[in-house]
Amino acid sequence: MTKTYHPSVKRLLDGELSLSDLPLELRGEGAEALRLLGAVDRAPVALSAQFEARVMTEVRRRAGSPMRRFWRGLVEPRDIELRLRLRPGIVWGAALAAAAALALLLTRPSQAPEGARPVRLAARDSVYVRFVLYAPTARRVAVAGTFNQWDQNASPLARVGGGGVWAITLALPQGHHQYAFVVDGGQWVPDPAAPGVDDGFGRRNSMVAVTARGARIL
Amino acid sequence: MGQREQATDGEVVRAVLAGDVEQYAVLVHRYRDRYARFAARMLGSLDAAEDAVQDAFVRAFDQLAQCREPAKFAGWLFLILRNRCFAEQRRRTREGRGLEATDEAIAGPDRPDGNVEQIEQAHALERALVDLTPEQREVFVLKHVEGLAYDEIAGMTGATVASLKMRMHRAYDRLRELLKEHT
Repeated sequence: MTKTYHPSVKRLLDGELSLSDLPLELRGEGAEALRLLGAVDRAPVALSAQFEARVMTEVRRRAGSPMRRFWRGLVEPRDIELRLRLRPGIVWGAALAAAAALALLLTRPSQAPEGARPVRLAARDSVYVRFVLYAPTARRVAVAGTFNQWDQNASPLARVGGGGVWAITLALPQGHHQYAFVVDGGQWVPDPAAPGVDDGFGRRNSMVAVTARGARIL
Repeated sequence: MGQREQATDGEVVRAVLAGDVEQYAVLVHRYRDRYARFAARMLGSLDAAEDAVQDAFVRAFDQLAQCREPAKFAGWLFLILRNRCFAEQRRRTREGRGLEATDEAIAGPDRPDGNVEQIEQAHALERALVDLTPEQREVFVLKHVEGLAYDEIAGMTGATVASLKMRMHRAYDRLRELLKEHT
Protein backbone atom coordinates (compact mmCIF):
# COMPACT_ATOMS: atom_id res chain seq x y z
CA MET A 1 0.00 0.00 0.00
CA THR A 2 1.33 3.42 -0.96
CA LYS A 3 2.02 5.76 1.88
CA THR A 4 0.20 9.03 1.93
CA TYR A 5 2.19 12.22 1.62
CA HIS A 6 3.38 13.80 4.82
CA PRO A 7 1.26 16.90 5.71
CA SER A 8 4.32 19.11 5.25
CA VAL A 9 4.83 17.69 1.75
CA LYS A 10 1.22 18.53 0.95
CA ARG A 11 1.92 22.08 2.06
CA LEU A 12 4.94 22.02 -0.23
CA LEU A 13 2.66 21.03 -3.12
CA ASP A 14 0.24 23.77 -2.13
CA GLY A 15 3.07 26.28 -2.44
CA GLU A 16 3.03 27.15 1.26
CA LEU A 17 6.50 25.71 1.90
CA SER A 18 9.63 25.34 -0.18
CA LEU A 19 11.75 22.20 -0.37
CA SER A 20 14.37 23.79 1.86
CA ASP A 21 11.70 24.36 4.54
CA LEU A 22 11.24 20.61 4.91
CA PRO A 23 13.30 18.63 7.41
CA LEU A 24 16.01 16.59 5.76
CA GLU A 25 14.15 13.30 6.16
CA LEU A 26 11.21 14.64 4.14
CA ARG A 27 13.12 16.20 1.25
CA GLY A 28 13.22 12.99 -0.79
CA GLU A 29 9.48 12.63 -0.52
CA GLY A 30 9.12 16.33 -1.27
CA ALA A 31 11.26 16.05 -4.41
CA GLU A 32 9.16 13.10 -5.60
CA ALA A 33 5.99 15.10 -5.01
CA LEU A 34 7.33 18.08 -6.95
CA ARG A 35 8.07 15.81 -9.91
CA LEU A 36 4.35 15.07 -9.94
CA LEU A 37 3.58 18.75 -10.36
CA GLY A 38 6.34 19.06 -12.94
CA ALA A 39 4.40 16.66 -15.14
CA VAL A 40 1.32 18.88 -15.21
CA ASP A 41 0.51 19.91 -18.78
CA ARG A 42 -0.42 23.59 -18.85
CA ALA A 43 -0.36 23.94 -22.63
CA PRO A 44 -3.30 25.96 -23.99
CA VAL A 45 -6.13 24.05 -25.59
CA ALA A 46 -7.63 25.44 -28.80
CA LEU A 47 -11.16 24.68 -29.89
CA SER A 48 -11.93 24.13 -33.55
CA ALA A 49 -12.34 27.05 -35.95
CA GLN A 50 -16.00 26.15 -36.49
CA PHE A 51 -16.82 26.31 -32.79
CA GLU A 52 -18.39 29.77 -32.76
CA ALA A 53 -20.44 29.10 -35.86
CA ARG A 54 -21.82 25.89 -34.33
CA VAL A 55 -22.77 27.63 -31.08
CA MET A 56 -24.47 30.52 -32.88
CA THR A 57 -26.40 28.17 -35.17
CA GLU A 58 -27.83 26.44 -32.11
CA VAL A 59 -28.45 29.76 -30.36
CA ARG A 60 -30.37 31.16 -33.34
CA ARG A 61 -32.44 27.97 -33.52
CA ARG A 62 -33.34 28.25 -29.86
CA ALA A 63 -34.01 31.98 -30.08
CA GLY A 64 -36.77 31.22 -32.55
CA SER A 65 -38.37 28.48 -30.45
CA PRO A 66 -41.91 29.03 -29.12
CA MET A 67 -40.72 28.54 -25.53
CA ARG A 68 -38.11 31.26 -25.91
CA ARG A 69 -40.64 33.66 -27.41
CA PHE A 70 -43.02 32.87 -24.55
CA TRP A 71 -40.31 33.56 -21.97
CA ARG A 72 -39.30 36.79 -23.66
CA GLY A 73 -42.91 37.81 -23.71
CA LEU A 74 -42.89 37.51 -19.94
CA VAL A 75 -39.71 39.36 -19.19
CA GLU A 76 -39.28 41.81 -22.03
CA PRO A 77 -40.30 45.36 -21.10
CA ARG A 78 -43.26 46.72 -23.01
CA ASP A 79 -44.29 50.34 -22.73
CA ILE A 80 -47.82 51.04 -21.59
CA GLU A 81 -49.24 53.82 -19.58
CA LEU A 82 -50.62 53.20 -16.15
CA ARG A 83 -51.13 55.28 -13.08
CA LEU A 84 -49.58 54.57 -9.73
CA ARG A 85 -51.90 54.77 -6.79
CA LEU A 86 -50.76 53.47 -3.45
CA ARG A 87 -53.70 52.60 -1.29
CA PRO A 88 -53.50 52.76 2.48
CA GLY A 89 -53.28 49.36 4.08
CA ILE A 90 -52.03 47.53 1.07
CA VAL A 91 -48.90 46.41 2.82
CA TRP A 92 -49.67 43.41 4.89
CA GLY A 93 -49.01 43.94 8.55
CA ALA A 94 -47.43 40.55 8.84
CA ALA A 95 -44.95 41.46 6.19
CA LEU A 96 -43.73 44.39 8.19
CA ALA A 97 -43.50 42.31 11.33
CA ALA A 98 -41.44 39.67 9.65
CA ALA A 99 -37.74 40.01 8.99
CA ALA A 100 -38.60 40.63 5.39
CA ALA A 101 -41.50 40.01 3.14
CA LEU A 102 -42.94 40.43 -0.26
CA ALA A 103 -46.28 42.19 -0.22
CA LEU A 104 -48.52 41.47 -3.09
CA LEU A 105 -51.04 43.97 -4.26
CA LEU A 106 -53.87 42.12 -5.76
CA THR A 107 -55.27 45.06 -7.63
CA ARG A 108 -55.07 45.67 -11.30
CA PRO A 109 -54.26 49.16 -12.56
CA SER A 110 -57.34 51.32 -12.16
CA GLN A 111 -58.44 54.93 -12.28
CA ALA A 112 -55.93 57.47 -11.07
CA PRO A 113 -56.50 59.67 -8.08
CA GLU A 114 -56.74 63.33 -8.71
CA GLY A 115 -53.34 64.82 -9.28
CA ALA A 116 -51.58 61.56 -9.84
CA ARG A 117 -49.07 61.72 -12.63
CA PRO A 118 -49.00 58.91 -15.12
CA VAL A 119 -45.77 56.97 -15.17
CA ARG A 120 -44.53 54.52 -17.71
CA LEU A 121 -44.05 51.01 -16.44
CA ALA A 122 -43.77 47.61 -18.00
CA ALA A 123 -46.43 45.28 -19.33
CA ARG A 124 -50.08 45.60 -20.20
CA ASP A 125 -51.53 42.94 -17.89
CA SER A 126 -49.64 44.10 -14.87
CA VAL A 127 -50.28 43.47 -11.22
CA TYR A 128 -48.85 45.72 -8.56
CA VAL A 129 -46.38 43.86 -6.39
CA ARG A 130 -44.88 45.50 -3.34
CA PHE A 131 -41.48 44.33 -2.24
CA VAL A 132 -40.66 44.97 1.40
CA LEU A 133 -37.40 44.26 3.20
CA TYR A 134 -36.55 44.92 6.82
CA ALA A 135 -32.91 45.93 6.78
CA PRO A 136 -32.23 48.52 9.49
CA THR A 137 -28.46 48.73 8.90
CA ALA A 138 -28.61 48.92 5.11
CA ARG A 139 -27.60 52.07 3.27
CA ARG A 140 -29.09 50.99 -0.06
CA VAL A 141 -31.54 48.27 -1.02
CA ALA A 142 -32.71 47.28 -4.49
CA VAL A 143 -34.67 44.41 -5.93
CA ALA A 144 -33.32 42.65 -8.99
CA GLY A 145 -34.96 39.86 -10.88
CA THR A 146 -36.01 38.43 -14.18
CA PHE A 147 -38.48 41.33 -14.55
CA ASN A 148 -35.67 43.90 -14.74
CA GLN A 149 -32.98 41.63 -16.19
CA TRP A 150 -31.25 41.44 -12.81
CA ASP A 151 -30.29 45.08 -13.02
CA GLN A 152 -29.21 46.12 -9.51
CA ASN A 153 -29.89 49.79 -10.26
CA ALA A 154 -33.28 49.51 -11.92
CA SER A 155 -35.53 49.16 -8.87
CA PRO A 156 -34.18 50.78 -5.70
CA LEU A 157 -36.29 50.46 -2.58
CA ALA A 158 -37.10 53.56 -0.53
CA ARG A 159 -37.06 53.82 3.25
CA VAL A 160 -40.50 53.64 4.82
CA GLY A 161 -40.41 55.67 8.04
CA GLY A 162 -37.45 55.33 10.34
CA GLY A 163 -37.82 51.70 11.38
CA GLY A 164 -35.51 50.05 8.91
CA VAL A 165 -38.23 49.03 6.46
CA TRP A 166 -37.54 49.46 2.75
CA ALA A 167 -40.18 49.11 0.06
CA ILE A 168 -40.97 49.54 -3.60
CA THR A 169 -44.08 48.85 -5.63
CA LEU A 170 -43.60 47.50 -9.13
CA ALA A 171 -46.05 46.60 -11.83
CA LEU A 172 -45.08 43.14 -12.97
CA PRO A 173 -46.35 41.32 -16.03
CA GLN A 174 -48.16 38.05 -15.52
CA GLY A 175 -45.91 35.05 -15.20
CA HIS A 176 -43.29 33.66 -12.87
CA HIS A 177 -40.50 35.98 -11.77
CA GLN A 178 -37.35 35.15 -9.85
CA TYR A 179 -35.86 37.89 -7.75
CA ALA A 180 -33.54 38.73 -4.87
CA PHE A 181 -32.77 41.84 -2.86
CA VAL A 182 -29.43 43.56 -3.27
CA VAL A 183 -28.22 45.24 -0.10
CA ASP A 184 -25.56 47.95 -0.23
CA GLY A 185 -24.80 47.21 -3.84
CA GLY A 186 -23.26 43.79 -3.40
CA GLN A 187 -25.00 41.50 -0.94
CA TRP A 188 -27.62 39.29 -2.57
CA VAL A 189 -30.41 38.40 -0.16
CA PRO A 190 -33.19 36.03 -1.14
CA ASP A 191 -36.52 37.02 0.37
CA PRO A 192 -36.59 35.36 3.81
CA ALA A 193 -40.38 35.31 3.62
CA ALA A 194 -40.34 33.20 0.47
CA PRO A 195 -39.20 29.57 0.26
CA GLY A 196 -36.93 30.28 -2.69
CA VAL A 197 -35.76 28.17 -5.58
CA ASP A 198 -32.36 26.89 -6.51
CA ASP A 199 -31.12 28.82 -9.53
CA GLY A 200 -29.22 25.71 -10.68
CA PHE A 201 -25.86 27.18 -9.79
CA GLY A 202 -25.82 26.82 -6.02
CA ARG A 203 -27.62 30.02 -5.12
CA ARG A 204 -31.18 30.72 -4.00
CA ASN A 205 -33.61 33.03 -5.72
CA SER A 206 -37.07 33.92 -4.53
CA MET A 207 -40.01 33.38 -6.83
CA VAL A 208 -43.29 35.20 -7.30
CA ALA A 209 -46.13 34.04 -9.53
CA VAL A 210 -48.21 36.86 -10.99
CA THR A 211 -51.60 36.03 -12.48
CA ALA A 212 -54.66 38.02 -13.46
CA ARG A 213 -56.11 37.24 -10.03
CA GLY A 214 -53.11 38.52 -8.12
CA ALA A 215 -49.73 37.27 -7.06
CA ARG A 216 -48.24 34.84 -4.62
CA ILE A 217 -44.78 33.90 -3.56
CA LEU A 218 -43.62 30.37 -4.35
CA MET B 1 -11.61 46.54 -32.57
CA GLY B 2 -15.30 46.94 -33.24
CA GLN B 3 -17.79 48.59 -30.96
CA ARG B 4 -19.40 45.25 -30.22
CA GLU B 5 -16.14 43.79 -29.00
CA GLN B 6 -15.61 46.76 -26.68
CA ALA B 7 -18.97 46.36 -24.96
CA THR B 8 -18.86 45.07 -21.41
CA ASP B 9 -20.29 41.66 -20.59
CA GLY B 10 -23.19 43.34 -18.82
CA GLU B 11 -24.03 45.45 -21.87
CA VAL B 12 -23.87 42.44 -24.17
CA VAL B 13 -26.02 40.28 -21.90
CA ARG B 14 -28.68 42.99 -21.69
CA ALA B 15 -28.64 43.43 -25.45
CA VAL B 16 -29.16 39.70 -25.97
CA LEU B 17 -31.98 39.65 -23.44
CA ALA B 18 -33.58 42.55 -25.25
CA GLY B 19 -33.67 40.43 -28.40
CA ASP B 20 -30.38 41.11 -30.19
CA VAL B 21 -29.38 37.45 -30.37
CA GLU B 22 -26.40 38.09 -32.65
CA GLN B 23 -24.66 39.94 -29.84
CA TYR B 24 -24.22 36.59 -28.11
CA ALA B 25 -21.41 35.88 -30.60
CA VAL B 26 -19.37 38.52 -28.76
CA LEU B 27 -19.51 36.45 -25.58
CA VAL B 28 -18.79 33.22 -27.43
CA HIS B 29 -15.74 34.77 -29.09
CA ARG B 30 -14.59 36.34 -25.84
CA TYR B 31 -14.77 33.20 -23.69
CA ARG B 32 -14.53 30.25 -26.09
CA ASP B 33 -10.94 29.43 -25.17
CA ARG B 34 -10.84 30.61 -21.57
CA TYR B 35 -12.27 27.42 -20.13
CA ALA B 36 -11.36 24.98 -22.91
CA ARG B 37 -8.27 23.77 -21.09
CA PHE B 38 -10.23 23.31 -17.87
CA ALA B 39 -12.82 21.21 -19.70
CA ALA B 40 -10.16 19.18 -21.51
CA ARG B 41 -8.37 18.34 -18.28
CA MET B 42 -11.65 17.60 -16.51
CA LEU B 43 -12.92 15.28 -19.22
CA GLY B 44 -9.63 13.87 -20.52
CA SER B 45 -10.51 14.52 -24.14
CA LEU B 46 -10.48 17.52 -26.45
CA ASP B 47 -13.61 16.32 -28.28
CA ALA B 48 -15.51 15.94 -25.02
CA ALA B 49 -14.23 19.34 -23.90
CA GLU B 50 -15.46 21.02 -27.08
CA ASP B 51 -18.89 19.43 -26.68
CA ALA B 52 -19.02 20.53 -23.04
CA VAL B 53 -18.02 24.12 -23.76
CA GLN B 54 -20.56 24.29 -26.59
CA ASP B 55 -23.30 22.90 -24.36
CA ALA B 56 -22.36 25.40 -21.66
CA PHE B 57 -22.71 28.34 -24.04
CA VAL B 58 -26.06 27.10 -25.31
CA ARG B 59 -27.36 26.44 -21.82
CA ALA B 60 -26.15 29.86 -20.70
CA PHE B 61 -28.11 31.40 -23.57
CA ASP B 62 -31.23 29.44 -22.60
CA GLN B 63 -30.96 30.63 -19.00
CA LEU B 64 -29.57 34.09 -19.61
CA ALA B 65 -32.56 35.72 -17.94
CA GLN B 66 -31.46 34.04 -14.71
CA CYS B 67 -27.97 35.56 -14.84
CA ARG B 68 -28.20 37.79 -11.80
CA GLU B 69 -25.03 39.71 -12.44
CA PRO B 70 -24.54 40.14 -16.19
CA ALA B 71 -21.20 41.81 -15.55
CA LYS B 72 -20.02 38.50 -14.10
CA PHE B 73 -21.10 36.41 -17.07
CA ALA B 74 -17.72 34.65 -17.25
CA GLY B 75 -17.98 33.29 -13.71
CA TRP B 76 -21.56 32.25 -14.30
CA LEU B 77 -20.58 30.47 -17.51
CA PHE B 78 -17.85 28.66 -15.60
CA LEU B 79 -20.41 27.30 -13.12
CA ILE B 80 -22.51 25.98 -15.98
CA LEU B 81 -19.49 24.34 -17.61
CA ARG B 82 -18.40 22.87 -14.29
CA ASN B 83 -21.83 21.32 -13.74
CA ARG B 84 -21.73 19.98 -17.29
CA CYS B 85 -18.34 18.33 -16.67
CA PHE B 86 -19.56 16.77 -13.42
CA ALA B 87 -22.71 15.51 -15.13
CA GLU B 88 -20.64 13.99 -17.92
CA GLN B 89 -18.59 11.97 -15.48
CA ARG B 90 -21.66 10.85 -13.54
CA ARG B 91 -23.26 9.75 -16.80
CA ARG B 92 -20.22 7.77 -17.83
CA THR B 93 -19.97 6.19 -14.40
CA ARG B 94 -23.63 5.15 -14.56
CA GLU B 95 -23.00 3.63 -17.97
CA GLY B 96 -20.06 1.71 -16.56
CA ARG B 97 -17.41 3.55 -18.54
CA GLY B 98 -15.20 6.03 -16.85
CA LEU B 99 -13.38 8.94 -18.37
CA GLU B 100 -10.39 8.08 -20.44
CA ALA B 101 -7.49 10.40 -21.11
CA THR B 102 -6.90 10.58 -24.84
CA ASP B 103 -3.69 11.67 -26.45
CA GLU B 104 -5.07 14.74 -28.16
CA ALA B 105 -6.06 16.28 -24.83
CA ILE B 106 -2.62 16.10 -23.34
CA ALA B 107 1.01 16.75 -24.10
CA GLY B 108 1.81 15.52 -27.58
CA PRO B 109 5.05 14.03 -28.84
CA ASP B 110 5.70 17.21 -30.80
CA ARG B 111 5.46 19.41 -27.74
CA PRO B 112 8.50 21.60 -28.18
CA ASP B 113 9.44 21.91 -24.54
CA GLY B 114 9.18 18.25 -23.60
CA ASN B 115 11.49 15.28 -23.74
CA VAL B 116 10.26 11.70 -23.90
CA GLU B 117 10.41 11.17 -20.16
CA GLN B 118 8.48 14.35 -19.43
CA ILE B 119 5.86 13.42 -21.99
CA GLU B 120 5.47 9.97 -20.49
CA GLN B 121 5.09 11.53 -17.04
CA ALA B 122 2.49 13.93 -18.40
CA HIS B 123 0.54 11.04 -19.92
CA ALA B 124 0.72 9.08 -16.68
CA LEU B 125 -0.53 12.06 -14.72
CA GLU B 126 -3.39 12.67 -17.14
CA ARG B 127 -4.45 9.05 -16.87
CA ALA B 128 -4.31 9.32 -13.09
CA LEU B 129 -6.30 12.58 -13.07
CA VAL B 130 -9.32 10.97 -14.71
CA ASP B 131 -9.41 8.41 -11.89
CA LEU B 132 -9.90 11.11 -9.25
CA THR B 133 -13.37 12.09 -8.13
CA PRO B 134 -14.74 15.04 -10.14
CA GLU B 135 -14.41 17.31 -7.10
CA GLN B 136 -10.79 16.30 -6.51
CA ARG B 137 -9.95 16.65 -10.19
CA GLU B 138 -11.59 20.07 -10.33
CA VAL B 139 -9.55 21.52 -7.51
CA PHE B 140 -6.34 20.00 -8.89
CA VAL B 141 -6.98 21.38 -12.38
CA LEU B 142 -7.94 24.83 -11.15
CA LYS B 143 -4.93 25.11 -8.86
CA HIS B 144 -2.18 23.38 -10.76
CA VAL B 145 -3.26 23.72 -14.40
CA GLU B 146 -5.08 27.06 -14.31
CA GLY B 147 -2.77 28.42 -11.61
CA LEU B 148 -5.47 29.78 -9.30
CA ALA B 149 -5.11 30.29 -5.56
CA TYR B 150 -7.40 28.53 -3.11
CA ASP B 151 -9.33 31.71 -2.33
CA GLU B 152 -9.89 32.35 -6.04
CA ILE B 153 -11.18 28.79 -6.47
CA ALA B 154 -13.43 29.28 -3.46
CA GLY B 155 -14.85 32.41 -5.06
CA MET B 156 -15.57 30.57 -8.29
CA THR B 157 -17.03 27.38 -6.86
CA GLY B 158 -18.64 28.49 -3.61
CA ALA B 159 -16.66 25.93 -1.59
CA THR B 160 -14.67 26.97 1.47
CA VAL B 161 -10.88 27.14 1.36
CA ALA B 162 -10.71 24.49 4.09
CA SER B 163 -12.83 22.02 2.14
CA LEU B 164 -10.87 22.72 -1.03
CA LYS B 165 -7.61 21.98 0.76
CA MET B 166 -9.03 18.76 2.15
CA ARG B 167 -10.08 17.68 -1.35
CA MET B 168 -6.71 18.60 -2.75
CA HIS B 169 -4.75 16.77 -0.09
CA ARG B 170 -6.79 13.64 -0.70
CA ALA B 171 -6.14 14.11 -4.40
CA TYR B 172 -2.38 14.26 -3.78
CA ASP B 173 -2.50 10.94 -1.93
CA ARG B 174 -4.70 9.33 -4.56
CA LEU B 175 -2.45 10.56 -7.37
CA ARG B 176 0.58 9.16 -5.61
CA GLU B 177 -1.17 5.82 -5.35
CA LEU B 178 -2.35 5.86 -8.97
CA LEU B 179 1.02 6.87 -10.35
CA LYS B 180 2.63 3.96 -8.51
CA GLU B 181 0.08 1.68 -10.18
CA HIS B 182 0.67 3.18 -13.61
CA THR B 183 4.45 2.92 -13.44
